[in-house]
Amino acid sequence: MAATAMDHDGGGDVVTPGELLGNSLTLVAGRGAYAEGRSVRASVTGHRRIVPPAPGSDDQRSTVEVVGHKAHGAVPQPGSVVIARVTKVMARMANADIMCVDSKAIKEKFTGLIRQQDVRATEIDKVDMYQSYRPGDIVRAVLSLGDARAYYLSTAKNELGVVSAQSIAGGTLVPISWTEMQCDLTGQIELRKVAKS
Amino acid sequence: MSAQAGAGTYSPAAAAGDKRREKREELRRHLAEDADRPRADGRSFHDCRPAFMQTGPTTAASGSAYAEFGKTKVIVSVFGPRESKKAMMYSDVGRLNCNVSYTTFATPVRGQGADNKEYSSMLHKALEGAVMLHTFPKTTVDVFALVLESGGSDLPIIISCASLALADAGIMMYDLVASVSVSCFGENIIIDPTSDEEAWQDGSLLVAFMPARKDITQLTLTGEWSDGKITNAVELCMDACSKLGDILRDRLKDTATLTSE
Repeated sequence: MAATAMDHDGGGDVVTPGELLGNSLTLVAGRGAYAEGRSVRASVTGHRRIVPPAPGSDDQRSTVEVVGHKAHGAVPQPGSVVIARVTKVMARMANADIMCVDSKAIKEKFTGLIRQQDVRATEIDKVDMYQSYRPGDIVRAVLSLGDARAYYLSTAKNELGVVSAQSIAGGTLVPISWTEMQCDLTGQIELRKVAKS
Repeated sequence: MSAQAGAGTYSPAAAAGDKRREKREELRRHLAEDADRPRADGRSFHDCRPAFMQTGPTTAASGSAYAEFGKTKVIVSVFGPRESKKAMMYSDVGRLNCNVSYTTFATPVRGQGADNKEYSSMLHKALEGAVMLHTFPKTTVDVFALVLESGGSDLPIIISCASLALADAGIMMYDLVASVSVSCFGENIIIDPTSDEEAWQDGSLLVAFMPARKDITQLTLTGEWSDGKITNAVELCMDACSKLGDILRDRLKDTATLTSE
């Protein structure tokens, strides 16, 4: 197989899962590649690309990655920042549909759960869900795997919370503090857990 | 399917059974003894049927593949990774859900379709070792195989076709999985058996193999075998799988170059 050739021209030849990309003494496995024992192999179909090591790093090995061909849709990973739309608000939790994972739109439907204790970092026992979220709000949150039923979303940080919302009157809500938003049509103030932008 | 009937009972199948046994004996004699005579479809014992494979027949799926080996025609669609069903237990790694079904017109006897539980679990076993389940935690990848026409060696073709579909869907895998089966007739081993040959075989061996890593993901052995013959048959299967693996890679490369142009 020609895949054993280790030319450092950046490559462009198409490789398929399992194909040998090189030796782990000279290459580090990047995206779409994996190392096992001495060999570095591709794990997806795509174009082979070799990235030289960052200047000043201890590791002198180049990174090999497989890119370009279609990969499967984004999957929620623990710790990723997601954008979700609130669908249902209850006394102790709110449901939300995840729309983006780390700035990538997802293809399939994934549901998340914001628990009362995950809404904000302080005074977590005094949180009122109805004064934090409304159905339809667009929320930025951090994801954890949660339980068998849903992913848990947490907005317990300043930069997390509602990023976009509509008022009861149908206008756009403009953030005025970290708990309040104002309607641009009527001037009415509504309560939200607002994300710091 | 035994056509044995006690004396005095109404037994129209007895004569038919004799004929069947006669035919079987003839086929067995033919395949077990005359090593140089070709098989019913003109192949020699160690020839596979011509293979046709293609990716992307199902546009609604994340990835799909079609395979045609002689009369056997299979279509595999891959969906996901998507959210696991609510009833499932919590799991840190992803899940592979496999389902094999037959169309009503797949077999000569009509309407024996529906799900094939045994093949579904065997397909799962053959693929799970090759898929990087940790890359899609808590989610499920669905693999649906549909046999359009059953012409023998169905399961190995489903496995090969499914690995092509998974690769087409962009699911991370350690390697592709190619699979080939052989039938044993007396002293002879014939590769890639047709339905007729499978019906009269003494034993069968199925190997699912990762060609680049040279690992076997599944090995199924049924019937009468002797030690030395098993070794020969496994080596024969592995060699055929390597060649089939090259075909799978060529198909993937064709699609990759087409989409990038």
